[in-house]
Amino acid sequence: MDEGRAYIETGILEQYVTGQLTAEERYEVEAMAAKDPEVKQEIASIELTLEKYAMAGARQPRELLRDEILNKILSKPLEVNTESIKPAHEAAIVPLQTKAYETKIKRLYIALIACAVLLIISIAALFSTREKLGNAKNEIIALNLDREKFATEASYLKESNSDLQKIDEITSSPDWKTVKLAGTKMDPKAKMTVYWHPGGQHVMVDNSKMQLPINDQQHQYQLWALVNGKPVDLGVFDVKADSAHILLKMKEIAGAQAFAVTLEKRGGSVGPTMDQMIVMGAVGI
Amino acid sequence: MTTNKKISLPEDELVNALKSQNTIAMHALYDMYSAALFGVISRIIPQIEVAEDLLQETFIKIWNSANGYDPEKGRLFTWMMNIARNVAIDKLRSKDYRNAEKNQDIENNVDFIDAQKEVTFNADTLGIKEMVNGLKPELIAVLDMVYFKGYTHVEAAEELNLPLGTIKTRVRMAIIELRKRFN
Repeated sequence: MDEGRAYIETGILEQYVTGQLTAEERYEVEAMAAKDPEVKQEIASIELTLEKYAMAGARQPRELLRDEILNKILSKPLEVNTESIKPAHEAAIVPLQTKAYETKIKRLYIALIACAVLLIISIAALFSTREKLGNAKNEIIALNLDREKFATEASYLKESNSDLQKIDEITSSPDWKTVKLAGTKMDPKAKMTVYWHPGGQHVMVDNSKMQLPINDQQHQYQLWALVNGKPVDLGVFDVKADSAHILLKMKEIAGAQAFAVTLEKRGGSVGPTMDQMIVMGAVGI
Repeated sequence: MTTNKKISLPEDELVNALKSQNTIAMHALYDMYSAALFGVISRIIPQIEVAEDLLQETFIKIWNSANGYDPEKGRLFTWMMNIARNVAIDKLRSKDYRNAEKNQDIENNVDFIDAQKEVTFNADTLGIKEMVNGLKPELIAVLDMVYFKGYTHVEAAEELNLPLGTIKTRVRMAIIELRKRFN
């Protein structure tokens, strides 16, 4: 009883009757009224008061309006009936729902746009990474080439170094003979050096001291040993701008009085072409 | 359908007839309540022709949504009153009405004032003056704003520059004073 009285004193019932409450608040009042007869009675009393007040404030519409309105409504009751099921308060709820949907859709749109932007950024990042990766690959290839070049160079230098050491060994050793070949009248400026080890029968040509014109593709130089007045073939060699080896090993010979070089057809000849002799040198004793 | 005889029914019979879409309910409703509903509508929309259209719209809604009325939750008149008030307020807030009102202000001032006079001096409104005679005018003013003109409490508080609590109290006090008078 006291609870109902206190509820009435809040003035919420007047707000209920004058249509000031939200749907939720209305349900609350209706639940209260269903539970407490005093509340229900109070609502009825407020309603009756306001009904009388509205009646006192009534304004008579013009006489003919009655028939106009009644004819309009009652002439097509069936058609109108289809709309009839919706209660008034439900109509108030629908716009709220659409608003909620609209905000939801708006939020989804924003999320969609954000996803699209992220996708574009990711693709851009992927492409730039791919490009960088490609550049890195090219660099690696270039570095590998460099490395190979350096390795070749290093091995070349190593070989050159060992050749030079050998030359040093040869020139300082009493077992080796150094034979200097001088240019003939065919090319007086030409000269070259041959190392000969009579005990081991080794013959080496020193490229570093080679001063012969570069031979073409059809010809090669051929080294000869003169043994007791007869030329003996010691092999062919090329003179190039860049020679890989400093020391060139030739065919072996046990004894010789002199060495000579002729320019022959590629592969060499059985006997020397005498007018093509470019250098010659006798073995010193 | 052009009966000139006015029909009146007890509320429970009227409700039953209305819910079973008996045409007699419509006649009775109109005869019993059209003036009261028209009073509310024309306080919100003073232009008679527009108010007449809205009265028709109100009765169409009453007829069509009769199933939405629950006698357990309140009196039939309270329900109809809410429909009439909402119809009128929807109109008041509609774009076409606000535009038309603007034009009327400029072009048709005289007609508008005449229409207002017609409403103001309607013989029916004399009843209300008698009824509120002796009541504090500040209570009645707030009640009229809320009950007849469809102001929300918040709107009334802003319009009158009063705290929200004061508005609520005044509405309640006005109703209590009126109750004393009717009893």
